[in-house]
Amino acid sequence: MNSSDAEATRRQKFDELVAVYHQDMYRYAAWLSRDRTVAEDVVQESLLRAWKSLDALRDAPAAKHWLLTIVRRENARYFERRRLETVDVDNLTPSQEALLADQPDHELDDVRAAIYRLDDDYREPLVLQVLMGYSTNEIAELMGLKQGAVLTRLHRARLKLREDIVEETAPGQMK
Amino acid sequence: MNCEEYRLAIAADPSREDGNAHAAACPHCRAHRDELRALDRRIGRALQISVPELRMPDLPDVDTSSVVALPARRRFTSPAWLAVAATLVLAAFVGIRMIGDNVTYASLADEIVAHLDHEPYALRVTDEPVSERRLAKVVPAEVASMNHDAGLITYAQTCVINGKKVPHLVIQGEHGPVTILLLPDEAVDDAVELEGESINGVLLPVGGGSVAIIGEKDEKLESIRQNVMNSVTWST
Repeated sequence: MNSSDAEATRRQKFDELVAVYHQDMYRYAAWLSRDRTVAEDVVQESLLRAWKSLDALRDAPAAKHWLLTIVRRENARYFERRRLETVDVDNLTPSQEALLADQPDHELDDVRAAIYRLDDDYREPLVLQVLMGYSTNEIAELMGLKQGAVLTRLHRARLKLREDIVEETAPGQMK
Repeated sequence: MNCEEYRLAIAADPSREDGNAHAAACPHCRAHRDELRALDRRIGRALQISVPELRMPDLPDVDTSSVVALPARRRFTSPAWLAVAATLVLAAFVGIRMIGDNVTYASLADEIVAHLDHEPYALRVTDEPVSERRLAKVVPAEVASMNHDAGLITYAQTCVINGKKVPHLVIQGEHGPVTILLLPDEAVDDAVELEGESINGVLLPVGGGSVAIIGEKDEKLESIRQNVMNSVTWST
């Protein structure tokens, strides 16, 4: 295989990965950052990183974990660079508002707002488990935590959401 | 499993099935589980936000000749005590090389081997990875870009080799901890074998710099060397 063929093959492999995992990357970035504009920036940077180190990916089934790990690190870099202040839920920027206002659905608005208000430490494992389908072991590996810590965070996240959401919902109204 | 244990477990993962026997026998816990599962369905739908159209960044040409990788996670095939014992022997061996703060070394290889004794606690057998934040601090973007898919990195520290700050990492090999030193400014012409009473290692030329890999005597570095080819890209 000559070099141009190799480059074309490499690009094809990359495009296939992006086609499959772009949505996961964006949603993960959006819920990590709680800001649609930041999420787009983080995904862009992550795609660049992934492209540069694509040859490190030898195990195709590990691609999702690999890409989400890159997103996680780029998100951390972004906030280290910007040193953004804590988000005030009552005083959001338009791109932060856009996350909460996504596909307006009265039934989900309160859920989204409650998730938004969760501490980062609780929101991230919840997103990985519910949205990404990660096991607690996988979450522990990605976040650099012990499994027990992940279980505790997930437990507390749900209790907090339940407090925020379920108590405002009359019995029998949950879908 | 009692009610408290079941509720703790089900709140951490409402989809789990291993407490079904308890839930079948306890209507209160069953109702609690169903409530949490309903909550999870709502959470799942709320998290499924719309995704904007992909904007592919301009992708640069990639020089794959400057890419190095760290080994993937491994399982121990020998008992942990053996690795600990080997580590102690290793520390004792490299210890005799250190004469004082002003010691000089005949070669870069000598300094690398001697450096292991500076941080003997780095060579512990553990399954606990360093945090991503720690790793990013030790391997800053201006020095190298590291693929975190690399595996179980259990130690990361900025160290000084030949007067320059360099990332010092430790991964867990088959026979115990394996030290990796990223040396972006230390060019070597050819691979240099690093040998000792209880260690074996290699200093590999990589791009304009080098990478040192040092493991226990019995560590199969060939497989590690092959794996060490993708996860670090020099930034300079």
